[in-house]
Amino acid sequence: MVLPGAVWLLLFSYLPMPGVVMAFKTYRLVRPPTDAFIQNKFLYSLIKSPWVGLDNFRYLTLPTNIDATLTYIRNTVLYNLLFMVVGLVLSVALAVMIFELTNRFLAKLYHSIFFLPFFISWIVVAYVVYALGSSQGIINSIIAPMGFAPIEVYKEKLAWPFIFLLANIWRYTGNGSIIYLATITGIDRELYEAAAIDGAGKWKQFTHITLPHLVPVIVLLQILAVGRIFGSDFDMFYTLPNGAALVRDVTQTLDVFVYSMLRSSVPLGYPAAAAFLQSIVGFILILVTNAIVRKTKPEMALF
Amino acid sequence: MDIPVKPASKSIDRFFAPKEKQRDMLALSPTLNVVLTILLGVGCILTLIPIYVIIIASLTSEASLVADGYQLWPKEFSTRAYTFLFSQGSIVITAYKNTILSTLAGTVMSVLMVGLYAYPLSRPNFKFKTFFTFFAFFTMLFGGGLVAYYMVTRQILQIQNSLWALFLPSAFSPFWVIVMRTFYQTNVPNEVIESARIDGASEWRTLFQIVMPLAIPGLATVALFSAIGIWNNFFNCLLLVDEAKYYSLQFTIYTTLNNIRFLLENADKMQGIVNISELPSQTFRMAMAVVTVGPIIFAYPFFQRYFVRGLTIGAVKG
Repeated sequence: MVLPGAVWLLLFSYLPMPGVVMAFKTYRLVRPPTDAFIQNKFLYSLIKSPWVGLDNFRYLTLPTNIDATLTYIRNTVLYNLLFMVVGLVLSVALAVMIFELTNRFLAKLYHSIFFLPFFISWIVVAYVVYALGSSQGIINSIIAPMGFAPIEVYKEKLAWPFIFLLANIWRYTGNGSIIYLATITGIDRELYEAAAIDGAGKWKQFTHITLPHLVPVIVLLQILAVGRIFGSDFDMFYTLPNGAALVRDVTQTLDVFVYSMLRSSVPLGYPAAAAFLQSIVGFILILVTNAIVRKTKPEMALF
Repeated sequence: MDIPVKPASKSIDRFFAPKEKQRDMLALSPTLNVVLTILLGVGCILTLIPIYVIIIASLTSEASLVADGYQLWPKEFSTRAYTFLFSQGSIVITAYKNTILSTLAGTVMSVLMVGLYAYPLSRPNFKFKTFFTFFAFFTMLFGGGLVAYYMVTRQILQIQNSLWALFLPSAFSPFWVIVMRTFYQTNVPNEVIESARIDGASEWRTLFQIVMPLAIPGLATVALFSAIGIWNNFFNCLLLVDEAKYYSLQFTIYTTLNNIRFLLENADKMQGIVNISELPSQTFRMAMAVVTVGPIIFAYPFFQRYFVRGLTIGAVKG
């Protein structure tokens, strides 16, 4: 019964794993000779390509490239940290507020609306950004009569952190709140009643009952998020700026950088080196975070 | 490694049930309740604004869009974009066909593969339980990276430039395996499975006739999430498809958006080469974006219940 899934995992997840060594090789695609044991072009080339040690990483840190590399790493990490913190706070807040609403019908309606954006693709969001923020966009139609200079988001670096943050909040808060809402509804009501009898207000109840119950879930999700800190929501970072070159410094993340190198003519070892950073450092980070959690609160560790 | 789970589904169902028992003592003060209601209401309106924006843009008449730009409330409405889209629409028709086919195929595959993979993991007597749980879980922590993935899918699996490229990479998910395993454990009593076995049903028959029907809410969640994942998927097409006849819907609308932006921004440099007013209609493109969202918005209210339930049974650690 596990066979079809196991084959899929083998092909799509395990087969690429040895590919991480490409980061340490000069990868050239060569046709295997007819008498070679391995006839597959990719595998043969992977094994036959010469080892070059850290040369590919050195390329990323050349004086001409180091600024770009550091900028993309900074973008990736900072955006991820921002989304982690803001996403956590807003999702928990939304879950608590929806739970406390007296009117059940409204709670359900609100929750449905907040959850809806999760099902809309980033490409459609890119259209919205265009309709709002392009030179002909709605924002300009509103501010122009007030005498402000027109804004064009595809040329405005400062705008992008806000656009990404808003887009991220918009798309994921409702979805993120579900798991917290589920946890809150599972907490024993009597705890709150006892606290209320003892004179604890809503805020005290939140900090002393709700929050401690949420901590295990929060820790679990944050461990996983830390492992993805060098990754990013590719579709969002790739499609929202729509290829605008002027704002690349604040919009490009490692994922997009790897992809654009992959599709350009640079040797494959370079994007492989950047991708190596993502997979290995991400993996190490998740192990470290988990180990720390395990030391302090063994019952909350992921594994 | 093992993620123990507390079934929260029942309580969340009860929570959303219409006439719940009064939580008198714990109820919010009326003022605070009104404040929250208004606050969340405003949040909802803000959430709906982006959807409103593209719908209204697609309903603006082309002439008023060219003259005044995008507006919150256009001076002149027109449904021409939609009549145009449905009358001619050849760019969209192929993409629509590809996306519908790959969504159907990918959804069926993922329900089967996830449902099958998760079941043995949920049974206490499966010998390789730990191994196969780890086999799936490990891929959530470590991956070969984009470059290796790109080479493997193109050079070894050779699924590029086919419909397979649009759904096969999304046809399985270790995350949903973990969720489904938990779903089986909490929603299908062990006694039911054992009595089926005693009555002589084979493992397969037990799974398909006893276990899966009991796990329909969970399987439906997997189905709906993978359907929406494939419907909205952009990356598979970007990475693995170079031929227009296999383009997916999202990829098609992305390239169209890219084209208008490029043309408009460079219009001054292209004076005489391209006439802006003769550009393929902007409202037409906005209508295209609306039409890709359409099926999801219509299906959403029906499935929302399942989403919430299926999700909450998942990774809640007890």
